[in-house]
Amino acid sequence: MPEERRVVVTGIGILSAVGVGRDETWKNLLAGTNGIARTTLVEVDDLPSQVSGEVPDFDYSTYIDRKGARRMDRFTQLAVCAAGEALDQAGLDTAAEGDHIGCMIGSGIGGIGTLEAEFDVFFHKGPNRVSPLLVPMFIPDMAAGQTSIRFGLRGPNYNTVSACASGADAIGTAFEVVRRGDAVAMVAGGSEACVTRMSIAAFANSQALSTNNDPNTASRPFDIGRDGFVIGEGAGILVLEDREHAEARGAQIYAEIVSYGQSADAFHVTAPSENGEGAARAMNLAISKAGIAASDIDYVNAHGTSTPLNDKFETMSIKTVFGEGAYAVPVSSSKSMIGHTLGAAGGIESAITILSIRDQKVHPTIHLLEPDPNCDLDYIPEGARDLGIKYAMSNSLGFGGHNSSLIFSRYEG
Amino acid sequence: MRRVVVTGLGLITPLGNDVASTWESLIAGRSGLGLVSRFDASAYDHPIAAEVKDFNAAEVVDPKLARRIDLSSAFALAASHQALADARLDMTQEDASRVGVLLGTGMGSAHQIVEQQRILDEKGPRRVSPFLVSHMLPDTATGLVAIATGARGPNFAVTAACATGGAATGEAAEMVVRGDADVMIAGGYEAPLQPIYYAGFNAMKALADHEDPAKAVRPFDATRNGFILGEGAGVLILEELEHAKARGARIYAEWRAAGTSNDAYDMVAAAEDGHGIAQAMRLALRRADLEPDAVQYINAHGTSTPLNDRVETRAIREVFREAADDLMVSSTKSMHAHMMGAAGAVEAAICALTCHHGIVPPTINYEHPDPDCDLDYVPNEARQAEVRVAMSTSVGLGGHNSAIIFSKWEDA
Repeated sequence: MPEERRVVVTGIGILSAVGVGRDETWKNLLAGTNGIARTTLVEVDDLPSQVSGEVPDFDYSTYIDRKGARRMDRFTQLAVCAAGEALDQAGLDTAAEGDHIGCMIGSGIGGIGTLEAEFDVFFHKGPNRVSPLLVPMFIPDMAAGQTSIRFGLRGPNYNTVSACASGADAIGTAFEVVRRGDAVAMVAGGSEACVTRMSIAAFANSQALSTNNDPNTASRPFDIGRDGFVIGEGAGILVLEDREHAEARGAQIYAEIVSYGQSADAFHVTAPSENGEGAARAMNLAISKAGIAASDIDYVNAHGTSTPLNDKFETMSIKTVFGEGAYAVPVSSSKSMIGHTLGAAGGIESAITILSIRDQKVHPTIHLLEPDPNCDLDYIPEGARDLGIKYAMSNSLGFGGHNSSLIFSRYEG
Repeated sequence: MRRVVVTGLGLITPLGNDVASTWESLIAGRSGLGLVSRFDASAYDHPIAAEVKDFNAAEVVDPKLARRIDLSSAFALAASHQALADARLDMTQEDASRVGVLLGTGMGSAHQIVEQQRILDEKGPRRVSPFLVSHMLPDTATGLVAIATGARGPNFAVTAACATGGAATGEAAEMVVRGDADVMIAGGYEAPLQPIYYAGFNAMKALADHEDPAKAVRPFDATRNGFILGEGAGVLILEELEHAKARGARIYAEWRAAGTSNDAYDMVAAAEDGHGIAQAMRLALRRADLEPDAVQYINAHGTSTPLNDRVETRAIREVFREAADDLMVSSTKSMHAHMMGAAGAVEAAICALTCHHGIVPPTINYEHPDPDCDLDYVPNEARQAEVRVAMSTSVGLGGHNSAIIFSKWEDA
């Protein structure tokens, strides 16, 4: 059997509430910039939750022409643009190697905005007026499909869905695809455009959303006053590449992806399992597959949604995995600044974790004014911090009991 | 290298609500198509669909849950329970963290979203169901199956439009190969027969039109004019070989490999030269370490659209070259129609059954040969034949392609 391939990260694209593009997002995260603001994409006066993390001034025109954009839901536009940024950095020769470059982009719900708009047409004008593009714009695999069309990626291609862990599972699955030799590189991550009336109403009524409409305190992971998550949108896409392929062409390597662990709670459709047992299993699986010990992990980018249950149980699961060492591992939640981008979260937060490794710097958890006694780890509340990182972990936990942990490491050849 | 075998099957299809009745209909060459009864379709001249019949969710899941969940999730749960029972897998004897669930769907919980959208429109946001979020996502069913069975291993959904079932089945098998699980409950499900989606597909001008519903789907026939929406679920128990042997499990077939690709061409239409599906077939053959002439049977995507069947035939010729003339190629969609995200999984199950029984299901409604479709499509009647290697191909909107290979089980 051939030696197992190693997989490195050679491109990073991010669109988030704190920045259009990787560098702007990362600079603002390190500065502790709040990206949550009153929602502008849809009318929210009659909705219980009126703030969100929208991508500011999103302009697709760098990568998509106007005609193409009309055939894409916003979640697909976000994905194509983030993938474009990642591919520009990676500098892969997609024209020559397109057969061996694949794409996996997770999304929790796909083109829900398109569905809502077409429902209006259906309801008010009748079935014969429904757009022929409804189905192809709505289905959640279309971000991967359109990204492949735009950039000529003909390798392995599908979409993973696991609610709020979708982006992480896309990256984990794409990592395994490169590792088993089905592709030399994969464009992988998550994308979501769920700032829509239906999504907000549905999440609000399930009691998951914060009803605090002050943008400066609505998303406050691990704080005693947290009352739910703030919905966000965006995309985070990586280029994952066979290490030897990347080395041979002299690519810039940001980090190595070393392990992926996934588990199911098999407990409840929305609530996490007692004490975060499922999340702990995913972390332990990732650590053991990496062949390292929990004490080797220097930083955890938490799922940290700002819901009362998630942050408490995630903290417990980190303690289960790290034991006494839990208090020595800095943990931060990007969602304190960009909100919960659902299926995109695992993609965006993986990208952030990699940038943390690249710069040996971690961003803070903002809005953490009064810690919850049940949440007593080092959440980096005071501001960005320099940190020596060899291994870092990104956690994603989804409705339905999906848990994913990804481990990245500093690339040392 | 860990080997993976199929030890259990579960099917909810327009041809029957279990494996035995579906297989019997397939071999008899019966059509499962009829007029739409699920909703008022009087706006259409010939509203045809392949509906699952006599399915009562309350008989297979807790009645309280049955009222809350989407029809698509009910199909997935029913097929998963069947498959586990068929495999005689006793979850109380298993390490539950080594049993995972990976089910694909093209759209997820179609009915729930649309019903709640109507409520949002008519009654306002505060009346939207608090259960909607947990029941509308494409991964809802994988979570429900995990809760119902206790399977705590890897768990997510895969979507690749109409190539979903094949991609999901292949990725699940890879999880067993790489040791993330010993058993995967894998497959696909779909319940797309909902007025707004029907309207969307109708607007695409992709649906077949015929006065006789039973003859609406005519794959590879010169007069074919579109596909018909079907619904249901297909679930396979994919199990590591030594694990299966240790518990004396019955083995239907061995999983050999999967390949996926993207045309990178158009969001709706397949590329005319068939390069994408050819690439998926080649990758699967390479991963299975098989030459093209090792394959006896292909369960084709064969949707019955003018473009698909021509492109698929061309791709098969391109990959199999002279061996293409010896292949048996059938489209069972001629009987169960296009079950979207469930299609690849149901057709994977049919490949496993074909290897197991040595009978190849036919392509029905095949009367007028098309010069562009010149393979042996096993027309109209099932055929007795030893099938040592079978391949299932799937092609989806968005340019997704998958090919998955099974072989007859021989203990060697």
